Amino acid sequence: MKVSISRFNPETDAEPHFETYDVTVREGARVLNVLDAVRDECDPSLSYRHCCRGGQCGSCAVRVNGEPALACMQEAKDGDIIEPLNLPRIRDLVTDIAPAIAQMAWLSAGECRDCSYVTAGDVEEISPLRECIECFSCLSSCPAVGASTYAGPTAIRQQQRLNLDPRDKADRVEEAVEKGLFSCTTCHKCVEVCPKGIETPRKAVEKLRAQAAARGLSLPAHKSLAALIESTGRSVERKEPTFLERVPDVIEPEGEVRSTVGFFVGCMFNARVVQPALDAMDVLRRNGIRVIIPKSQVCCGSPLIRTGLVGFIPELQERNIKAFADAGVDTVLTMCAGCGSTLKNDYDTPFRVADITEFLVETGFEEPAKVPGTYTYHDPCHLLRGQHIKEQPRVLLRSAAETFVELAPRCCGAGGGVKSGKPEEAARIGAVRAEMVKETKADYIVTVCPFCEFHLHQVTGLPVKNMASLLLEGYQRKDSA
Amino acid sequence: MGWENRTDCHVLVIGSGGAGIRAAVEAEKYGTVSIISKTITGKGGCTVMAEGGYNAVLSDADAVSVHFEDTVKGGAYLNDAALVEALVSEAPARIRDLFNWGAVFDLTADNTIAQRPFGGQRFARTCYAGDHTGHEMVMTLLERLRGSNVEIHDETTVLELVKDGDRVAGAVTVDRNGELGLVTADAVILATGGAGQLYDVTTNSTAGTGDGYALGYRAGAKLIDMEQVQFHPTGAVFPADSRGRLITEAVRGEGGLLRNIHGERFMEKYDPARMELSTRDIVARALATEILEGRGTSSGGIYLDVTHLPAEQIEKRLPVMLSQFLQFGIDIRCEPMQVAPTAHHFMGGLCITAQAETTVPRLFAAGEVTGGVHGANRLGGNALADTQVFGRRAGISAGKCEPSAKSVDAGILSAVEEKISRLYEGDTAVSSVQKRLKSLMWNNVGIYRNELDLKVAEREVRKLQGERLRITSPQEIAGACITENMLCTASLVISGALLRRESRGAHTRTDIKQKWEASSSPFGHTWFVGEKAGIDIVEANL
Repeated sequence: MKVSISRFNPETDAEPHFETYDVTVREGARVLNVLDAVRDECDPSLSYRHCCRGGQCGSCAVRVNGEPALACMQEAKDGDIIEPLNLPRIRDLVTDIAPAIAQMAWLSAGECRDCSYVTAGDVEEISPLRECIECFSCLSSCPAVGASTYAGPTAIRQQQRLNLDPRDKADRVEEAVEKGLFSCTTCHKCVEVCPKGIETPRKAVEKLRAQAAARGLSLPAHKSLAALIESTGRSVERKEPTFLERVPDVIEPEGEVRSTVGFFVGCMFNARVVQPALDAMDVLRRNGIRVIIPKSQVCCGSPLIRTGLVGFIPELQERNIKAFADAGVDTVLTMCAGCGSTLKNDYDTPFRVADITEFLVETGFEEPAKVPGTYTYHDPCHLLRGQHIKEQPRVLLRSAAETFVELAPRCCGAGGGVKSGKPEEAARIGAVRAEMVKETKADYIVTVCPFCEFHLHQVTGLPVKNMASLLLEGYQRKDSA
Repeated sequence: MGWENRTDCHVLVIGSGGAGIRAAVEAEKYGTVSIISKTITGKGGCTVMAEGGYNAVLSDADAVSVHFEDTVKGGAYLNDAALVEALVSEAPARIRDLFNWGAVFDLTADNTIAQRPFGGQRFARTCYAGDHTGHEMVMTLLERLRGSNVEIHDETTVLELVKDGDRVAGAVTVDRNGELGLVTADAVILATGGAGQLYDVTTNSTAGTGDGYALGYRAGAKLIDMEQVQFHPTGAVFPADSRGRLITEAVRGEGGLLRNIHGERFMEKYDPARMELSTRDIVARALATEILEGRGTSSGGIYLDVTHLPAEQIEKRLPVMLSQFLQFGIDIRCEPMQVAPTAHHFMGGLCITAQAETTVPRLFAAGEVTGGVHGANRLGGNALADTQVFGRRAGISAGKCEPSAKSVDAGILSAVEEKISRLYEGDTAVSSVQKRLKSLMWNNVGIYRNELDLKVAEREVRKLQGERLRITSPQEIAGACITENMLCTASLVISGALLRRESRGAHTRTDIKQKWEASSSPFGHTWFVGEKAGIDIVEANL
């Protein structure tokens, strides 16, 4: 098996470099076994950490083909590229995790000598946050770390673990704010790379933000957004006729009705960038889909849930569920990744929620003509990790774009209230993303989230097209050909 | 470079598993403490990997005296009574320490600490946090440690203990960059864990190389019962490189069944009363016998089956097992695991008093590096309790030592330097010696032993000790010295196995027919001090 390993000797090397090794390993070998083989057969000076060999101690986290993994658990594949975590490097695959460990708070029990008041309920709540093995994969891949003073996902996880513990006497909420609680974009990359699957954004970040909000510690921009939603039911001010004002209650398709869906427009497409939503209606019509648009729908509440200002959430949930339940639809389409993720994960809906790309690919869509230009696709975090939708947008894009170039997913910085609350941090995260986009040499970016769309255009200067708009363009070309 | 890198503390703790951290936080009450570990603190020991649980008498329906009897019976009556007494009487207080420090153990519906049955015990007294009990303990201890003033030295390996006259007075260390250092201390605590890594197939972390046995032995301390190596009955068999990975006893505690290739619950033949929840020595021999006699699977395993249990119970009580097996392509909710015995725990080690004193002044020890607590076979759940009870005791005893002026014997420093310069001129790869040692120990000094195999092993280890280890960079110093420690420890295991001419607990001599039961054995501890070794005779049983 051939693998490439990033080597670095601080005494002799100015820069890290890759070495390729060819070693023999047994069936089912893990990356750690390959590293052992390289050390034993090729170079005894190869430095890497390892201990338990069973995914329990967190020593051996490295990046395999760019993504963090525990070397002892990840099956090795021919051609693997093995690098250290994206943390300060000591030697070869060994990184300096001492600064990260220093960020981890400890229980302050005060004079507690008899903690018999801890309940099974407390244990059940704390346990999911307690499985961290301090491998720091999350820290290595968090986009907010490096763009801010954010202490990182697992440090915040630990704050909430202590916050939930009745034995702990310290104020973990204020500490969490100091550690950068409002810098998390809720992109969920930390969950994706966590060997234990700890849901830090939902179970720690958003919970701590809710407590911070209750104490008035929210960022000013978040407070005014919440006030706007509470007074208007919308997170975007009306400046011109909105989508909902411009469309009928029901849009009948061209030709045969293949299916009927409800359409949840979301605040951004309703009032800030209306055209893509109008384009989406044309795309649905063309594909035989009847669209019912209840006018009583309101903001999904995503900006409130992500920022912790959750007081108004039950009312929003009730109004939205009622709007679509009354319309009698069994499927509701979204075209904003944030709305879709919120309706799927933070609501208990009596109807199915599907992203427009998910639905079109599932039910079949008319092939458009190819639109000239080189296109790349930006995965919105709330679509990729919030809804586990990765392939469908690519299927659509491959059919509509003359040239499609891949782009590895990474948060653009627009989510989690960071763009409104800490715009300079969002811009720094965006700048990293802009570099990645630039490397693709694409002329256009396509995405499925209005927040990403807006932000990516700002940081890259490139035109950003909504998927629906691109499809419609393809249909129009087809018709005029 | 060299000895300018010198620090001093009141108590030096070597090893950062459960016993080491517990000792350090206790010793800190008496003065400055440094904790040194060859891994990142908390990650290296076997505590963090311990899955099943912690034995403590917490219920009125249970009794400390019953825990004592279970432990001694399970230990084939080779245990030191004073140590067992300390273990069983103090285990409840030490789990309460952990609980007060923030441990998140599973609780019952009425909010008391939940307990489950484990092998060889007449009461369900094993406390747990799912199947990651040791991880929970280490995280709790780490929080405690991080909130203390203990100085933490990660990835620093102790090469040799240093003495001032007959007392231990510190240690020579090497850090991850290969820099040598000297730490002087009024007292030193060895909490370096066991040596499962002497074997080809083991549950142990890669840090389980027996350094403490070798360090203590070279410092002149007495060791006992080194032949008593527990083979855990249930280690993984696939993939090949993960062979030996621990499948927790909690799987059987929760109701898992052992079956051979014919579907027979063969434990009926070996221990019909206790079946799957017999003691580890008996279950391990049963599995080894079934496999040797051709009733194992094609990959050399035995089925361990939980598919009859509700999926929810597996998900909640055995989440680590479930996810580990899923990563290797097996859903234990729907298909049986395959398991085989694996080297697990060293019952032998440094001879200590109930106050955790070794036979060398100012040297203390706690946890798996010690002998006598578990006799000839350890009960599941007693090791985690051992780390806390004796970790604290070692911390107190070491902490109470009077401060002393330490004049370190310069000879040992130059000896270390000379040894290192020789390593650069060696000709044998460290990995090659380790591989040969591990397969030798597995083949010749495993579950079933006989004099011929042991003699061969003795000769082969001596040969390996004669080879000249080679290093190419300063970062390899630690690995080479650890390999020497492994060879030293292996020689003690073999020597003990030859000395103990009986089958007792985990030690089985197929070449010896004996008339006695363990309870009336004429033999006591095997022991090792410097060049001398022997076996105690119990006059009353002669």
